Amino acid sequence: VRSFTHINAHTIEEAYSMLDEHRGSAVLKAGGTDLLGVLKDEILPHYPRVVINVKTIPGLNFITEDERGLTLGALTTLHEVANSSLVKERYPALAEAARSVATPQIRNAATIGGNLCQDVRCWYYRYPLKIGGPLQCARKGSGPCLAVKGDNRYHAILEGKRCFAVCPSDMAVPLAALNAEVKIAGPKGERKVGVAEFFKPLRNALGNGEMVTEIEIPSHQGQGKQAFIKFSIREPGDFALVSVASAMTVEGGLCTDARIAIGAVAPGPVRAREAEAFLIGQPVHQEVIFKAAEQSVVGARPLSMNAYKVEITKALVRRAIRQALE
Amino acid sequence: MGEAYRFIGKTIPRRDAKEIVTGAACFHDDIRLLNMLYGQVLRSPHAHALIKEVDKTRLQKLPGVRAVLTWEDVPDWKGGMTHTTRVLDRKVRFVGDAVALVAADSKEIAKEALRLIDVEYEVLPAVFDVDEAIKPGAPQLYEECPGNVMPPGVPGWGGPRSLKEVVMGDVEQGFEEADVIAEGTFGYEGIPNPMPPESPGAIALWEEPNRMTIWVSDQSYYKHIGYLRRIVGKDIEIRTFGGPCGGSYGSKSMSWQIQLQAALLSRATGQPVKLSFTKEEHLAAYVLRPTSRIHARVGMKRDGTVTAVSGTWLLDTGFYSQTTQAQVAVGCGEAQLAVRCPNWNLKTAIVCTNRNASGIVRGFGGQELKCALIPLLSLAMEKAGLDPVEFFKKNFVKPGDRYVWRDGRRYTYRGVHHAAAMHEGAVRFNWKEKWKGWLQPTAVNGTKRRGVGFGIHGNADIGEDASEAYVRLDPNGTAKIFSSLAEHGTGQKSNITRMAAEVLQLPLERIFQPPSDSLLSPYERGPGGSRMTYAAGSAVIAAAEDARRKLLEEAAIVLGAKPEDLETVDGMVFTKGKPGNGVPWEKIIGADHTCMGYGRFEQDFTLSNCMMTFVEVEVDTETGKVDLLRVLNATDVGQIIDPPGLEGQLNGCLGSAGIDSALFEETILDRSTGHVLNANMIDYKWRTFSDLPPIENVILETPYESHRFHAVGVGEVATAPGPVAVLMAVSNAIGIWLHEYPTTPERVLRALDKSTFNRANRTERGKP
Repeated sequence: VRSFTHINAHTIEEAYSMLDEHRGSAVLKAGGTDLLGVLKDEILPHYPRVVINVKTIPGLNFITEDERGLTLGALTTLHEVANSSLVKERYPALAEAARSVATPQIRNAATIGGNLCQDVRCWYYRYPLKIGGPLQCARKGSGPCLAVKGDNRYHAILEGKRCFAVCPSDMAVPLAALNAEVKIAGPKGERKVGVAEFFKPLRNALGNGEMVTEIEIPSHQGQGKQAFIKFSIREPGDFALVSVASAMTVEGGLCTDARIAIGAVAPGPVRAREAEAFLIGQPVHQEVIFKAAEQSVVGARPLSMNAYKVEITKALVRRAIRQALE
Repeated sequence: MGEAYRFIGKTIPRRDAKEIVTGAACFHDDIRLLNMLYGQVLRSPHAHALIKEVDKTRLQKLPGVRAVLTWEDVPDWKGGMTHTTRVLDRKVRFVGDAVALVAADSKEIAKEALRLIDVEYEVLPAVFDVDEAIKPGAPQLYEECPGNVMPPGVPGWGGPRSLKEVVMGDVEQGFEEADVIAEGTFGYEGIPNPMPPESPGAIALWEEPNRMTIWVSDQSYYKHIGYLRRIVGKDIEIRTFGGPCGGSYGSKSMSWQIQLQAALLSRATGQPVKLSFTKEEHLAAYVLRPTSRIHARVGMKRDGTVTAVSGTWLLDTGFYSQTTQAQVAVGCGEAQLAVRCPNWNLKTAIVCTNRNASGIVRGFGGQELKCALIPLLSLAMEKAGLDPVEFFKKNFVKPGDRYVWRDGRRYTYRGVHHAAAMHEGAVRFNWKEKWKGWLQPTAVNGTKRRGVGFGIHGNADIGEDASEAYVRLDPNGTAKIFSSLAEHGTGQKSNITRMAAEVLQLPLERIFQPPSDSLLSPYERGPGGSRMTYAAGSAVIAAAEDARRKLLEEAAIVLGAKPEDLETVDGMVFTKGKPGNGVPWEKIIGADHTCMGYGRFEQDFTLSNCMMTFVEVEVDTETGKVDLLRVLNATDVGQIIDPPGLEGQLNGCLGSAGIDSALFEETILDRSTGHVLNANMIDYKWRTFSDLPPIENVILETPYESHRFHAVGVGEVATAPGPVAVLMAVSNAIGIWLHEYPTTPERVLRALDKSTFNRANRTERGKP
């Protein structure tokens, strides 16, 4: 790794002030499980001069519940999310997603905030300096998305425009299904955005000097029954090829609420709005589930090599609906 | 079963076990020499280009840089099978090819230096497909290889006579006699990386005027001397050290480019230089398996007799051939071992393309050819209604059968009959119950379908090449084995200790091996082709027997007895049957003497091992996911030397470009730019320990006429039969032929016609 200045931040304000001060040449580090790989391979056009460690900020590692819902501090580790009895009992899709990430060692270090902020896995974007790289692309601010004419077997089938890299975050998927919001702090104050809106085609929603501080999930009472299913080439220790989170409420034999989020198919987690709307008011039997799965991929526009992801998405949506209602 | 032995076949901890698990073993990465510099390689961003200009001026400001070398600064050293590939060249031939070398006081400075070298390229058109590369007008990689076809033949194996193709009998007549004929194009083209845990590296020290010392991280080290001398000149005195190497799987049989890159930097600086590849370089700029593609036709009778095989075997060797001609020779030989057929016309061509090179990988040619040939044979077996296990029982080499081996000579097989292991494996796997016929699933459960498959591979290289050893008996009742054998992870250094111990009847703790230094020990070619058990073992056994004979001859004089009446056990000599009257070695040898034995093994191609793999898979027809449920390997090794070591070798059938090359292991190349896209351990799908299927190993011990312990090696071939077995099992599960490796969800769904979305809904991307 090339040298940089490492600064421990002790308050949220200190962290975002330094980030703002070194605008463009500073990065935040929490668990570092993604950032260190990015730095080591020197994939970005500008190498940061300053790495601001936010792990030294007290009070950002917590899971609390009140009548409004669940709040997770951004520094809560994935291991803690996966093993929290509160999360396991009331937000099982979230616990399952945390458990599905990487390996135990990485889950001990990786944080939920970092999981949302990690950079994409696109192999053109990540092509290392050492082997005749890095490669320029739309996401780095120059040229086209290289996946479009290249090997795009793992890329977006939905909502890709200038960049077809998919959202690598497993946590984003159940959070989107659970209508969670990301709390952001920065020099201009605090704000909240929905998890699905946090991801944009070329980057996340964080502005200059901003950082994620908390994740808020509405009360479990309205969340219904949940499931999270992740499909990857290798198990375990792999990023999702497709993942699906579902939150279903069925009353009197009819679906009254359905939320389905799909991961790794688009720049962010995608809510299958057509499928959700279709399900509401229906008895959830096999035929309805099949139709909902078809609805979930309406609008899919696969690239040259990734149409199979549409098929896998449909299969996972069917399974996630069934599994939630089991 | 074999004789009752004291050490052979017993479960005994390896000599180096404690060192390895406590971290005391000194691997390449652990070596630090006085004044050692660190090397780095600047790599090409283009798949094919001429270097127009290299500007080093920005480097002058960076302290700690000791040398920067480009093609203009170095001697014209050329390596590879055809000696056409330079260590540094004016032309780069793949993304990641070496452009410049840097030596600096630290790794960090060397890396920083790479950023300060400015290179101007003239980009040339590149070619990435074997059939494209041989078309007229294709970009040409070497002037010496018109049409991108590498000259055939292996100089060291009889040159023009070495095996380049399988041509015999009359294929026309063979096809006329056939009841069924199958033909088509089949490939094994995933270019998987064998990926030993330790990435390649070397330390070199050049001392003027003509001494070069290399600390290798390879599985061999003595044989490098001859190879390197051919490149750098016969007047250079070369010494090599081989430490424990962190795995190889064949790929680190030879790392001449890294070694000579380090040597050039040492030559320029006068200091030792260490060059260690990163995992990214290991994946993108080191060697892969050759790409194998056949366009071929086979004829078969209904009873499983093969009447004709004809066609072309094309191998894509990447930007140069390290040993691909040798892989062709061995592959052609191994095809004859597996398929008994009087009429062959199998031509071959080795083609170079603009990707990182193919090199030595276990399975060496035969795995590559069989992974393409057995699917073709399977089509014929389907037409003839033949069970593949029965087919290979009939066709695999049997005592008295003849075949042409790598040197172009004909040999008669004198090993064991492998049908016994095939039968035993099939019984234990419950093959007859599970095999429902071609393209028939073993079981269907909703959207999940199960299927079984079978693969087979054997190699007559178990006795290839020469080995030498000395065994020295010391008066204090210890023995020293001098063998130029580097430990590459399989425990062979411990195994030769057992063999010497058994001959000398000496406890293992009293047998030592000096450091792996080419100045100390005699010629040993090193591992390859599962040769260690028979070839290296024979040399050590012969050396131990020679030392023992000399000892007993001396003892006969001292004790006034006949040598044949004497025995030695635990460092004592006594009359047979009278251990009570023993005399210690010191009294025989003399306190100021040693007793040295010498042993040599000459190559023998008349024995072959055989490995069979049975697999059962489950295919999720909704997602295309293939799960490996069960693996059973069956083999006959003659005599087990080291039970856990053998078990470990057979369990190694999954990774290192074995079975998993049919499931998910592949090197992914951008087919228009030549970038290796998955040069990291996340995107290169490598099985983790938490995802191991049950593996059973059926091991028979029918004595071979090899050496006094009747054993042969099987380590190399453990990966070879698996990929084709998986392809067969997946095809049977889904009822549709799959002919591409690996069987990814995309390929399975496409075969099931479930990825039709594209055809109906395809929209052009990248256009406004």
